[in-house]
Amino acid sequence: MGFRMRYLDLKRKICSVRMLAIQGIAEAGSGHPGASFSAAELMGVLYFRKMNHSPTKPDWSERDYFINSKGHSAPGFFATLAIAGYFPPTEMKTLRKLGSRLQGHPVRYTQKESRQSVPGTEFSGGSEGIGLSVSIGIALANRLDGKKNRVYTLIGDGESNEGQIWEAAMAAAKFKLHNLVAILDRNRIQQDGFTEDIMPLDPTRDKWSAFNWNVIEIGGHNVEQIIDALNKASEAKDSPTIIIANTVKGNGIKHMTNNPQWHGKAPPREHTPLLLEELRSECLIAPSIIAGQQENYEEKIRSAERGGADIIHLDIMDGRFVPNTTFYSDTIKQLRHITTLPFDAHLMIENPLAHIQDYIDARCDIVSVHAETCSESEFAQITHRLLSNGISPGIALNPSTDVPNWLFPHLQDVDVVLIMSVNPGFAGQKFIPEVLSKIRLINQKLREHGFLGYIEADGGIDATMLQAVYEAGARIFVAGNAVYGSGDIHGAIIQLRYKVNVALERKLLEQANTIGIRRDWLKTRKHILIPLANELGIEEELHALK
Amino acid sequence: MLLSNEQKNADMRGAYGDTLVELGASNQNIVCVGADTTDSLKIKKFGDYYPDRFFNVGIAEANLVSVAAGLAIAGKIAFASTYAAFLPGRCLDQIRNSICYPDLNVKLVVSHAGLTVGPDGASHQQLEDFSTMRAIPNIRVIVPADAVAAKYLIRSIAMIPGPFYVRLARPSSEVLYEDNAIFTIGKGNILRDGSDATIMACGLMVTRALDAAKVLKSNNGIACRVVDMFSIKPIDTQLVAKCARDTGAIVTAEEHNMIGGLGSAVAESSSETYPVPIRRLGVRDTFGESARDEEIDALLEKYGLGTNEIARGVIECRGKSRR
Repeated sequence: MGFRMRYLDLKRKICSVRMLAIQGIAEAGSGHPGASFSAAELMGVLYFRKMNHSPTKPDWSERDYFINSKGHSAPGFFATLAIAGYFPPTEMKTLRKLGSRLQGHPVRYTQKESRQSVPGTEFSGGSEGIGLSVSIGIALANRLDGKKNRVYTLIGDGESNEGQIWEAAMAAAKFKLHNLVAILDRNRIQQDGFTEDIMPLDPTRDKWSAFNWNVIEIGGHNVEQIIDALNKASEAKDSPTIIIANTVKGNGIKHMTNNPQWHGKAPPREHTPLLLEELRSECLIAPSIIAGQQENYEEKIRSAERGGADIIHLDIMDGRFVPNTTFYSDTIKQLRHITTLPFDAHLMIENPLAHIQDYIDARCDIVSVHAETCSESEFAQITHRLLSNGISPGIALNPSTDVPNWLFPHLQDVDVVLIMSVNPGFAGQKFIPEVLSKIRLINQKLREHGFLGYIEADGGIDATMLQAVYEAGARIFVAGNAVYGSGDIHGAIIQLRYKVNVALERKLLEQANTIGIRRDWLKTRKHILIPLANELGIEEELHALK
Repeated sequence: MLLSNEQKNADMRGAYGDTLVELGASNQNIVCVGADTTDSLKIKKFGDYYPDRFFNVGIAEANLVSVAAGLAIAGKIAFASTYAAFLPGRCLDQIRNSICYPDLNVKLVVSHAGLTVGPDGASHQQLEDFSTMRAIPNIRVIVPADAVAAKYLIRSIAMIPGPFYVRLARPSSEVLYEDNAIFTIGKGNILRDGSDATIMACGLMVTRALDAAKVLKSNNGIACRVVDMFSIKPIDTQLVAKCARDTGAIVTAEEHNMIGGLGSAVAESSSETYPVPIRRLGVRDTFGESARDEEIDALLEKYGLGTNEIARGVIECRGKSRR
């Protein structure tokens, strides 16, 4: 019943949740995309990684409880339940329609009601400010019954205007409910506008501390930070925990983010294909710490984290498979405690099966081994070991290596196919241009065989070719000198993201063209496109919209 | 069913507290939530016996009922209690959305309702609760007339799943029932028979209805049937129809605004089964006022709910009967 989901699978599942939610909202013609998206990672990590629960037995007595107090995030909540296996995802089509189980706000009916609740719904949301109190009741009852389970409660910052939230805050501390974890979706927007204009909540952290809660503050879209915070909350003694998750309302669809207008508005149905394309185009920037002049890995990791890197790429070289040597699992172990950022280990070593346990023990999140270094059966053993430890398996290919035929039966178990765009062994090499068409071909072929994972491009990538690599199909970009080569690591990462954005917008515009909604899309997306207009060559077109 | 001659007084709140302690002994799932009025509600005793099943949330009624909802979600039979002025007065939304909509096993047992709250005055004299509670799906509304009724009705609602609202009175009051009386949710109890008119009352008005019936018999020769309508929702539609048919006129009496309470429930029921003239006696859409405990009868009279007003109501109502 409890299962540990690997990092990239978790990301993919959360992406599916957003896609399902936006389809439901577009189909219904109403709903709350903003709140559904700000809380997508929070709910996703709970359901796909942290909570003990059973989609086939929703009333399992030892389950952890999730109380969705901000009931208007219903589309995101329902989509999470569907992806978790509580009901068929196709049912999202019925959201907010007459006769549907998927009500505008989630409802928990008792058995005597002829209308059925959505399985897994513990609480009837919709009226703000109530769920935390209800969670207290559940936590008290569970403690009374000697159960070890926990109650997780999602509350909103707008919702925190309600006095009852603070009644509950006092009571949970009084009752010393260490089995209660509140998660505040701090997206700073409520229906009428920005929270600090409508009813200021800050200093949020101080308020909850003053109410005697254990307070943890995180970035609410970083799954690794959410996991870490939830683990810390599990260790709390004698006091309830609140995780203040700083989020972005509408996160995932750029024109919806941080815009109060999208609190409770559905997108036009014809935009759906573009929205889905944007959601599935999420990219990860992975600085490689062997690049640059200095040797100080700790400082490199810290500066990459401050600069907004998504994951840390670790090049393990053994001096045999490649001519150079770098570091091994013992170094990773030492680095592990300084960051929650996922570790993307790229094993450029001979006989990886013999060493795989070291990288599992070092708590890497993604481990890629070279196709050139293992047989099918060795690779199968490696992926099995990784999967059973909740680690994303990857396979790496040298520039001259094609996808081995033996890989195809194992594609379901592979989260990453890493394609080298330089010959491995040294930092600072130039990108091999021929690799672009290789990425494109491999991506196409893998997708035909049902591959759902990421293509990772590694070697010589900088801002100048990022767009081409994106267009070829890569979604994880290893960046060495492009990040560490300059003094401004934050600036370098921003520049890489900017290029990814340009590539995405270009792709979306092409698609808008194809389905005949270019003008409408330009209007909807205008505030996103204006800063990129020159690069996209649409300055005059945008100007003409006025 | 009625106690014969001896007259004694007892406290409904005390009966509630004692019954809860008794239920708590045999059923570990019974829990109790209070809101800084636990001494007054007589549930403190439950906390003394079962401290781990007793939760005082302080003066926070919205939290009170929502915490009770959570306890019920996790399988408990949750009793939540405070003064009627604040529950339901202050937490209607929480009752509706977090208890009634999901049909949870929460028992809202309140006291200090109606004019008989006395000295605390109109802010504390809850006169709208039957109306608001009755209009919400799933919840049932119960008003015991004395301490014996309170005991049996509390036992009953603990056994029946789903939400209940039970309104108790503040003052100690005359014990009407023998200890072997029977109470069925959804039924009324005929306490005195008669064929000329029916008085249907609830709570402390039942005693006054019986007094009025005696006065009417001796002064006017009118034989009144008196019914204790302790179950306001579900209302005993069969009994309403039977009384309409048998006696041709119905007078209702309640410590509640005449809009939306027992009188309305009886009138709605009768109008669809056996329409007869109905006189609804209640507070006439106004707020009450303070009165010392020894002035309670005068207070009720001032607001149209004394024994004499009930008797007059019966005579007027019979005058409109087409029989």
